This record gives sequence, structure tokens and C-alpha cells, in this order.
Amino acid sequence: MRVLITGAASGLGRALTEELLRQGHQVVAADRETDSLENMPMAHRGSCTIRFVDLESADSIQRLLASFQGQQPFDQVFLNAGISATGKFEEIPAAAYEKLIAVNLFAPIYLASRLVGKELMARNSRIVFISSLSHAMGYPGASVYAATKDGLAAYARCVDKPFRKERVRVLTVFPGPINTAHAKRHAPEGSKASKRMAPQKMAKLILRAAKGKSKTYYPGSKAYFGALFGKMMPGLATRLMRRGIYDKLKGPVY
Amino acid sequence: MAEKDARPHTVLVTGATDGIGLLLARAYAKRSHHVLATGRRGIANDEEFFKFPNITYVTADQSDPRHAASTILAIMQDMGWEKLDLAILNGATAWTGPPYDEPINTIGDQLKVNLTSPIHLILALTPMLHAAQGRLVMIGSTSINKGHGQFATYVATKAALNGLSRSLREEWRGKANVMIIHPGPTRTRMHAKAGLNLRFVRLFFMSPKKVARAIQVAIRRGNEGRKIITRFGCFMARFSWAGKGQL
Ligand SMILES: NC(=O)c1ccc[n+]([C@@H]2O[C@H](COP(=O)([O-])OP(=O)(O)OC[C@H]3O[C@@H](n4cnc5c(N)ncnc54)[C@H](OP(=O)(O)O)[C@@H]3O)[C@@H](O)[C@H]2O)c1
Repeated sequence: MRVLITGAASGLGRALTEELLRQGHQVVAADRETDSLENMPMAHRGSCTIRFVDLESADSIQRLLASFQGQQPFDQVFLNAGISATGKFEEIPAAAYEKLIAVNLFAPIYLASRLVGKELMARNSRIVFISSLSHAMGYPGASVYAATKDGLAAYARCVDKPFRKERVRVLTVFPGPINTAHAKRHAPEGSKASKRMAPQKMAKLILRAAKGKSKTYYPGSKAYFGALFGKMMPGLATRLMRRGIYDKLKGPVY
Repeated sequence: MAEKDARPHTVLVTGATDGIGLLLARAYAKRSHHVLATGRRGIANDEEFFKFPNITYVTADQSDPRHAASTILAIMQDMGWEKLDLAILNGATAWTGPPYDEPINTIGDQLKVNLTSPIHLILALTPMLHAAQGRLVMIGSTSINKGHGQFATYVATKAALNGLSRSLREEWRGKANVMIIHPGPTRTRMHAKAGLNLRFVRLFFMSPKKVARAIQVAIRRGNEGRKIITRFGCFMARFSWAGKGQL
């Protein structure tokens, strides 16, 4: 398989990249930070192409897309890159919100649209959008982050049918907390890393779901029950999130 | 804001030059509130256009979110507003067509006008909304429930507003009331502007007047997440838009 992964240098993207390489696939790993990808252990069977992309910049995304022209199409694409901003809504500057919208919403929408529109996807291929469990629970203390992840989930739902006609299937994943540097930076003080899922485990679950048929996936039992709870009692879920996160915030992180 | 018009309120309506927004601006003016109406157009004579002396208009194009927010804040300060009782974030734009054909500029524009601009505006207005214990109302869309293949980015922006409202409502509990109201298919010029000819299906859409009235009721009662729909209109919208070609 030929696979594209955005945000491949660290966290979940890194785990997806390494697992796919271990399985012997051809991975195009895109990130704005490429040094750590160069130094990847070489014990893998697959081949890795490293591509620089700054997802805050439409020009940079365009250059990335141009580099795919005339190459073999992708069998799987993981639009995984995402950033966060935590704190009280009004304590985070507008510029940080613009960045969130660019990276979490504009970039995956534009990439998905062009990958399909320019026939860079193989027949019966798969685009995987990484949303967040906040879609089910709400996320006071990261309200614009939550907004972008809801927007992404809605976009994925909308394109499901039109993309299917082009022989591309869509999967949206709603991961709960993952034990990555990203999570550590944004988690409230005193939260336990052991409660977050290891990225390697999350990557395996997501890769398995990408092979399956479902359109949405909540990885792990915690996310599954979280989603169930959030759907049945949305108000209460968001209130509990407020107590668990917003009320314990120390200050804005963006 | 829950009490009925005890004193003139300060009301902001964005996207108030057409459709639902125009009707809302006029309705609040009719009840003798002070209304600030905004939009992208230049309007020569406010009173002639809006037919009410207590509506002030300012051009604030939301495709430049930073500038729109600072313009709106500046004029409120000029008018001496210290509190904002009600902000209705209604201004929005849409593009319709297959998602894989969507031009880069319209993806960017919808994100800016429908999402980034409201965020800039809320940031700018936070102190005034908190001072009034006011009400912040976002206008969403019932299209976020099932999604829509020909309006993917538009629906994404409305779902994002929905998510923002859900979390911000909790954050601002006790400080100001945040809510979102979701109109269903309504007979405004929005679809034509988006490049969609509804033809006869228009007939089954709700009248903007009724929708504007229902929005006011929902605001007064604080009906969070209120969906304004007629079942048959929604059904017809899906039926027609699922058709072939440019519909
Ligand atoms: N109509 C429906 O079926 C429907 C369904 C669900 C939700 N909604 C939502 O309801 C709200 C009102 O829509 P509507 O049907 O009344 O549409 P509309 O008649 O087109 O009104 C939209 C308003 O927003 C303004 N606007 C557009 N782009 C702008 C920009 N860049 N900067 C500032 N203002 C801008 C428009 O200005 P111009 O007059 O210059 O165009 C107009 O005043 C929107 O949020 C829409 O998404 C509508």
C-alpha cells in the first residue's frame, strides 16, 4: 500500500508511520518538522518518503500536492495533523484561533478535496479524518479546538457519498486522550498520563478500523462509552468536562 | 435579557442586509431597541434602507475577520455602548457543488466569514456581553444533522459553530448566555448566492418571516439548540438536492 500521513513526525502520526513501515508499506510522511523523521530507526521493511509541509500555509499545501502529481496514487491517507489551544476562550488571542482553524480545518478540507479531485487517490482507497472524542463530549477550556473537530467530523459526513462515487471511502476517528507530548502540554495539572492511551496501541486500532467498513470509529472502550454517554446526555457530559478540565485550568496554552 | 423589553436593549445583528438577518434587525428595532446592523455592502442611507431610525448600519466584511471585529467594536464605542444585551451572529456565506471541485478561495471564504469572523467578534465583544449578562446567539443550520454532499464546507462551518456554542455555553455559565439556533431550509436568497437554483423546491421552504419570528421566540425563551423546521420542507430539500446536476 501507498499511504500518506500528515503530522507524521510525532504523536499518533509517528506511531501510524512506524506501524505501517513495520508492516512493509510505502509511506509518505509529511510534517513541518522533518529532522526526527530522518532519524527513524531503520529496522522497518517498508519505505518512507519524507515531505515538508507547513499546514498553516495554503501555498505549502499546494506544493505538497504538486509533488504527488504523476506519482502512484494513495491507497490510504491519514489527515492526522492537529493542534490545540487550551484555556478560557477569551484568554487566547485571535491569532492562535486562526492557526487552529487553518491547521485543523482548512488543511484537511483542502487536502481531501484535492486528493480526490486531482485523482491522487487509488480506486477503493480510504481517507481517514482524525477528529476527537470532544465531538461527543464537548470541551470547555478548548472551545475552538472542539469547534474545529466538530467541523471536521461534519465535513467527513458530508463528503462520504460524493467521495464514494469516486471510489474513495471516508473514515472519521474520534480518539480520546492519547499519551503524546501534545496531550501533556494541554492536559490540566494533576491528570494522569497512565489514563491516556499509548499512541502505538491507538495506531494499531485505527489501522484495523481503516481496513474495515465503518464510517466512524471511537477507538478503545473509554472512547466508546464516552461517545455513548455524550450522545445520551450531552448537557451532563459537557458539564462534567467543565468540572474535569475547565475548572482545573492553570492558564492558557497555545 | 429574559425579561420582556423592560428597557431598550443594545442589539447586534450581523449579516443584516438580507434574508433572516434583515428581518431580525427590523424586528428588534420595531420593539424600540438600539440595533447595530452589519454586512458586507456599502449602504448610502441607513434609514432609507432599514426603514427605522434606531438601526445603525456599519460595513464590516467578515471575509476580513480582524478588520470586521475592530470596526464593529469601534462603532459601538462611538455610540457609547458599554454593554451588549444581545448579539446575533447571523452573517454567513455558502458555496454549493461537489466537494472535490470546490475552489480554494471559497473554502477559505466560508471558513473566514462563517467561523473565524464570529470568533474574532466574540473575543472583541466578551467584556460588553459579560457586563450586560447578555445573550450571544449563533445561527447554525439543521443541515449539520445529516450532512449535505453539495454544501460540505458550509456544513462544516455550521457544525463548528455548534461545537463552539456547546463548549462556550458551559464556560460562560453565570457570565452570559450562549446559545445556537438552527434554522431549517428557508426561502431566502442564500441558495441563489451560493450558486444553487432551487426551482420549484423553493415553494416548500419556510418563509423567512416565520423563521425570524421563531428565532425571536427561541431567543426570548432561551431555547438552546432550537431547530426551526417543517418536516416536509426538510424532506423536499434532501429529495431535490440529492438529484443530479446543478440543483
Ligand atoms: N436560508 C436557509 O435555508 C438557511 C438554513 C439554515 C441556516 N441559515 C442561516 O441563516 C443565516 C441567514 O441566512 P439567510 O438565509 O438570511 O441568507 P441571506 O439572505 O443570504 O443573508 C445572509 C446575510 O449575510 C450577509 N453576508 C454574506 N457574506 C458576508 C460577509 N462576507 N460579510 C458580512 N456579511 C455577509 C449577507 O449580505 P448580502 O446582503 O450582501 O448578501 C446577508 O446580509 C445564515 O447564517 C445562514 O447560514 C439559512
